[in-house]
Amino acid sequence: MPMEFLKEKHIEYIKSLDAKQGDLEYWLSEHLRLNGVYWGLTALCILDAKDTFKKEDIVNFVLSCWVKSTGGFSPFPRHDAHLLTTLSGIQILSIYNSLDALTEEQIEKCVEFIKKNQLEDGSFQGDRFGEVDTRFIYTALSSLSILGRLTPEIVDPAVDYILKCYNFDGGFGLSPGSESHAAQAFTCLGALAVVGKVNKLSKSQIDKIGWWLCERQLPEGGLNGRPSKLPDVCYSWWVLSSLAIINKLNWIDYKKLRHFILSSQDTKRGGISDRPDNEVDVFHTLFGITGLSLMGFENLNPIDPVYCMPCEVTSKFKKYPY
Amino acid sequence: MHGVKRRQWSRELLKQKRIEDEKKIKQYRSLVDTVLNLKETQIYTKDSLKLSKEVLQWNPEFNTVWNFRRDIIENVKGQLDVTFWEDELNFTMAELKKFPKVYWIWNHRVWVLKNHIDSSLKIWQRELIIVNKLLDMDARNFHGWHYRRRIIKVIEDRTGKSNDHEELELTTQKINKNISNFSAWHQRVQLITRMNDTDEFENRKEFITNEIDYITNAMFTDAEDQSVWFYMEWFLEYEMVSKVLNHNEYTTILNKFQSNILIINEDDKEFSGKENPWCLKMLIIIEKLQTNLGIEIKDGKSKEWIAKLIEADPLRKNRYLYLLHEEK
Ligand SMILES: [Zn+2]
Repeated sequence: MPMEFLKEKHIEYIKSLDAKQGDLEYWLSEHLRLNGVYWGLTALCILDAKDTFKKEDIVNFVLSCWVKSTGGFSPFPRHDAHLLTTLSGIQILSIYNSLDALTEEQIEKCVEFIKKNQLEDGSFQGDRFGEVDTRFIYTALSSLSILGRLTPEIVDPAVDYILKCYNFDGGFGLSPGSESHAAQAFTCLGALAVVGKVNKLSKSQIDKIGWWLCERQLPEGGLNGRPSKLPDVCYSWWVLSSLAIINKLNWIDYKKLRHFILSSQDTKRGGISDRPDNEVDVFHTLFGITGLSLMGFENLNPIDPVYCMPCEVTSKFKKYPY
Repeated sequence: MHGVKRRQWSRELLKQKRIEDEKKIKQYRSLVDTVLNLKETQIYTKDSLKLSKEVLQWNPEFNTVWNFRRDIIENVKGQLDVTFWEDELNFTMAELKKFPKVYWIWNHRVWVLKNHIDSSLKIWQRELIIVNKLLDMDARNFHGWHYRRRIIKVIEDRTGKSNDHEELELTTQKINKNISNFSAWHQRVQLITRMNDTDEFENRKEFITNEIDYITNAMFTDAEDQSVWFYMEWFLEYEMVSKVLNHNEYTTILNKFQSNILIINEDDKEFSGKENPWCLKMLIIIEKLQTNLGIEIKDGKSKEWIAKLIEADPLRKNRYLYLLHEEK
């Protein structure tokens, strides 16, 4: 059976997500709703079907997630703000060219929220409860970059911290001393790329990073996140975007990875799962599609490996240092 | 969804699920609404505590409710006795057993320990035994390893004493159980680096000699697994090794690794008819280390090995072409 990319089915699948209010899972995943909207919208943009969502509804939903007391975005109205969801909110507004739907005051408060979560050592906590993870450096720097509000006071210590998360094997951990993980390669390299500091890594470091990343590909074509782990479609994004950032995208086998992603599609209802025959979700659907886009398959719209947003949108961003 | 088998829903099944869900959705949404109302009106009572727990039992990823729960605890702290704190630890453990990959639960548990009414060291030492059990269940859970490092840090800060020797022994145990446990190899690197930096080795040379035997043994045990190879590479390049050993000793070690790896590769070829890509990759690295040492290599084989890798490991062909280019 020839393996085909089921573009129309994926669009249908993403469109159907909001109509699942009769499922308990819909309500149990409120805490991911704003991220979910970002994943779905970005996938639709790459599929050249941006109009599938109604802009006005989405922008209003994003605005309803802005938390007045803290200034950040929550995943759902009445929830608490967190850096992870703050980035999603900003990304969605930016994709719709609607950042001006926020008032000056709201943007000021949002920038304050992000800045306030930076700690002494340059790292970021996700919210006031103090969890530290390089994921939050990425979300903070990317958010500020989209808003055009990066400064050396924020950037320099953050960069120092990221460099401490680089490991002997060529990977990055969630904090200094933590085991390398492919998602962390993206957050660390992505954060460095957002602030134009990938050149802080030496050539031998870059070569080693490329090596560790390309060793994620398994004989069946899929990529894993750490040695001796199973392949998973989402690593098509974390690994490939990282390779793209260091200009070594072709260090893995495209054809085999494509095959793995395509065999993880749900041929009946659309959507992509973490690996063949598992339940699909919008997260893996996005990262399967963006992986294919980075490799130049299926005539997809180009995705920016640094921001995980359509290139059409990111090409307008002001590049730091301003 | 990670690791959830895809189900084909027939119309009948779907209808049935919807009916069942309808009731649950009503129940869940009304509970969530109640709790968010309590949160918004800042009702910090034992009753709020109970209701927030109910929400979290439905949905352990509801971070806003974890936040609310901590705010309640902060506010009613004076009324809470040791039983409460122990129950809270039991609650997070029950959740972690079901959802070992949910960040929020791990974080809440650390918060509970930090705020526990019994602020003695005992609580943290007991925690170390608990995290051992968790790592026995899943030896690669990186949340578990990260958590372990956090616990150790607190214990070390409190006692002013390093746990490095014990922790190193733990990595040995974990690796002996499963040589592909890269999390343990990783931790081994962290510990050795720190022990060297803080001068914790009684005899560095003896340690290095033993470690070389350990790696050699591991190499022969499983030459397919990348964990050992990543570790071996790090160890041979680690400055402590090249500094403590004199030139001759270091050269001899490199040569010995080289010949052992060649033996393993020959065995693999005999057995499967194929070159072992990891052997080839490591041979290239060792030759580079030899060159860096100023050892004259009469007939360098790196190019040949890279060419073989293009055949033996085609997935990464473009990296090998790059290496070939670099060789010039
Ligand atoms: Zn995944």
